[in-house]
Amino acid sequence: MKPPSYLVAILVVGFCFALRIPLEADPVSHILVQLPLLAWSGVLITPNGTGRRSEWNRGGVATLLVAFFTIIFWMLPRSIDAVLSSPTMELAKFITLPFGVGAPLAIGWARAHPLLRGIIKAEVVSMLGVLAFLYIHAPVRICNAYLVSDQHRLGYGFLFLALGLSVFWIAPLFIVHTKRAVMPTKTPATA
Amino acid sequence: MKAFLASLAVLIAGSVLFFKATDGLQALTAEGARRLAVQREAPMVSSFMLETMKGSAEPLPGAPGKAVMVEFIYTTCPTICQSAGGDMARLRDLVIAEGLGDRVRLFSVSFDPDVDDVSHLARYGELHHADGEVWTIARPTVNDLPALLKAFGVVVIKGDPDTFGGYEHNTAIHVISPTGQLSSIVDTDDFDGALEALKRTLS
Amino acid sequence: MIKAKHQPQEAAVKFTMLLAGVVLLLMMVFGFIMRAAQGGMIEIDQALFYQIMTAHGAGMVGTAGLTGISILWYFTGRYVPLLAGVFWTFLGLFLTGVVLILGSIFIGGYAGAWTFLFPLPAMSGGFWSNEAAATFLLGYIFIGVAFLLLHLEIARKLIAAYGSIGGALAWPLAFGNGRAENAPPPTVVAAMASTLFNVMGIVVGATVLVSSLVNLMIPDFAVNALLAKNMIFFFGHVFINASIYMAVIAVYEILPEYLGKPWKTTRPFAIAWTMVFLFVLAVYPHHLLQDVAMPAWALIMGQVVSYLSGIPLLAVTAFSLLVYLRQSRVMYWDLASALLVLGVAGWSIGSAPAIIDGMIAVNKVMHNTQWVPGHFHIYLLLGEVAITFGFMAWLVKDPREKGLNILDLAGFAVYLLGGVGFTLMFLISGALSVPRRWAVHVPEWFLQDRLATGFALLVILGALLFVVSYAQGLRKKRTR
Repeated sequence: MKPPSYLVAILVVGFCFALRIPLEADPVSHILVQLPLLAWSGVLITPNGTGRRSEWNRGGVATLLVAFFTIIFWMLPRSIDAVLSSPTMELAKFITLPFGVGAPLAIGWARAHPLLRGIIKAEVVSMLGVLAFLYIHAPVRICNAYLVSDQHRLGYGFLFLALGLSVFWIAPLFIVHTKRAVMPTKTPATA
Repeated sequence: MKAFLASLAVLIAGSVLFFKATDGLQALTAEGARRLAVQREAPMVSSFMLETMKGSAEPLPGAPGKAVMVEFIYTTCPTICQSAGGDMARLRDLVIAEGLGDRVRLFSVSFDPDVDDVSHLARYGELHHADGEVWTIARPTVNDLPALLKAFGVVVIKGDPDTFGGYEHNTAIHVISPTGQLSSIVDTDDFDGALEALKRTLS
Repeated sequence: MIKAKHQPQEAAVKFTMLLAGVVLLLMMVFGFIMRAAQGGMIEIDQALFYQIMTAHGAGMVGTAGLTGISILWYFTGRYVPLLAGVFWTFLGLFLTGVVLILGSIFIGGYAGAWTFLFPLPAMSGGFWSNEAAATFLLGYIFIGVAFLLLHLEIARKLIAAYGSIGGALAWPLAFGNGRAENAPPPTVVAAMASTLFNVMGIVVGATVLVSSLVNLMIPDFAVNALLAKNMIFFFGHVFINASIYMAVIAVYEILPEYLGKPWKTTRPFAIAWTMVFLFVLAVYPHHLLQDVAMPAWALIMGQVVSYLSGIPLLAVTAFSLLVYLRQSRVMYWDLASALLVLGVAGWSIGSAPAIIDGMIAVNKVMHNTQWVPGHFHIYLLLGEVAITFGFMAWLVKDPREKGLNILDLAGFAVYLLGGVGFTLMFLISGALSVPRRWAVHVPEWFLQDRLATGFALLVILGALLFVVSYAQGLRKKRTR
């Protein structure tokens, strides 16, 4: 039987909290494991169809923007440094990632136009590329709490994530969906 | 229309947040924020007693009326960070050439007082031609160390195995005014910036 | 000819082509000014020369992209229903980008060339501010997002209609046991392939643009110069190539009306487009043959692929066109058909100097000479732009008239003569090792410069006739 998703969410947050010391000791696991897991917990607690009819959130734009700005905030190296030195910021992280990123993303994504989704995917890949580019080559230390060599590993982490996501998003488009191929313009070659 | 207003509100709130979180787009990193805050607020630095490479005791900030330039080091650095010593010597020469030698005290302070005893400090001073008059090498007591680092906003972490057991920290020159205020933080190789900051605090 | 299932968005595309026609004229005037200045016939400030050069480069690449994708949008609209709002959003974003770019150049003084090669935008030597460079890059980002939007709409509709990317690329026919009569039309194959590589180019372009932007604002975040150059040329090469690969759709769709025979998707055609897709992505290192720090394998790949890349599509398109032309008993010439055939010819001929320059041994001496502008001016002036003007002529064609009237004939002749002469001067200068991108030339180079200036005037005259007759055609069609 599938466990209810809020239970999974609690487990995920609990995992992130209990193991926060080892997870945050390395920027790769901090930024590429713990932060996404926290955001995912927000997705899990959002019931399907939340805010589907709200006029305020037509096209999901408003909530996607909430998620965007929260992500931008946590992308600032100084925010990450602050988490490690201030318990208040650590708490803020555990609250804003599920409720400021995961939940609004889930609500907005469900309502987003396919074109907007496409644009977002393309931008995510490019921006991960930008991060990879900057972190691999930055001659300065970006976080006081992490080593330069950690910074490089994080840069490569961004790069692999960008490549992985592009494959993950593009590959399905090569797979023929018979359900899709119904448009009667011309007998599709794949029929 | 409602959706547009909601999005606009989020856009404005988000931009304001971002603006605030970066001190008006000026500091993206904690190190940038530290330097900016010092420049704006010039906080007072409480006094710490140091032990110099000659074994004598000396307060930091130093004698009243004298400006201070401090950097943090560890003498056992096995790699590139030894160049900080050369940089400091160069800065000392520039300060003297400007005729400011008697108005400023230069310190290289070890953040590893456990290992860096007086003999280590003296050897480091000899290696980089620290005179002891204008520029000296010193260490805090082990008990004072955390408060000292916090006062200057310096974070020291253990390096990975590649650095042969060394440390990494946010290296910089900290300029303290004659009144004991931390007024400026610049890169160790930014000699022009350091001299300029020094002259500002002396004027 | 090909039975349209849907209505293309005629008004939007016609309006865009009018804009594009005017901008093309302006760009030609810029070119004329630069050649005249090089020939010592007029005196302009050297800073202004490089501003004009930057505007000419960015403007031509942008306009080629704009016209290419408009052609693609128009004809793809025959097979799948495309959202009109997407095109208008595209145009709005595109024009915003153009305003930013023009502002950064002529108000901000940015003159770091359209290639924005690191670290030039950040090191202007006082000629322009970081803000001007940042505005220029921001303009590019707007244009990139605009193109991404159109491509995504096209990709999503094509995938929905033909089942998958492979379906739209006619893979069952190319590599399986699919039958030609079931294959998607050539337009769909071309639209899918160019959409794929242009999206990849734009995503990489966005990465290097934003990185350069961060570097401008926060110099501590340095950029790896060689990697940045690789990314810029990948993006630039893909983008400018995509413009002509998209424009050639006009040939597949319009010429059959003259030939009396549809352009069919055959197995070689389908294979060629898939190979083109791969080659366009892999060939860009031939722009970096002079970078000694590049790994040898990448440069060799650049040379080898640049040999190969001309073959599949040109062979399939140019050769098919020749066969079609020979077989057709009803073919007739008017401005549209003449310009479209010229476009295919110019495209084919333009690849010859490109392949020569793509050889490492030649490239070492030739790459910084006017040989290279010679090559890409053939591609554009006699290829992409000729197809564009042909498409415009077709859009306003009066079905009751068949043939070239005297004004059309004059325009075509002047344009052809001017275009051939103009590009030939570049090639000759290149062969004589005249450097490119120099504001000031020595008197020994004046002869070709001055001849080229004259030929440029002919090109402008021809283009002016095309644009005026297009504008008149739009008015006439409306009143008809």
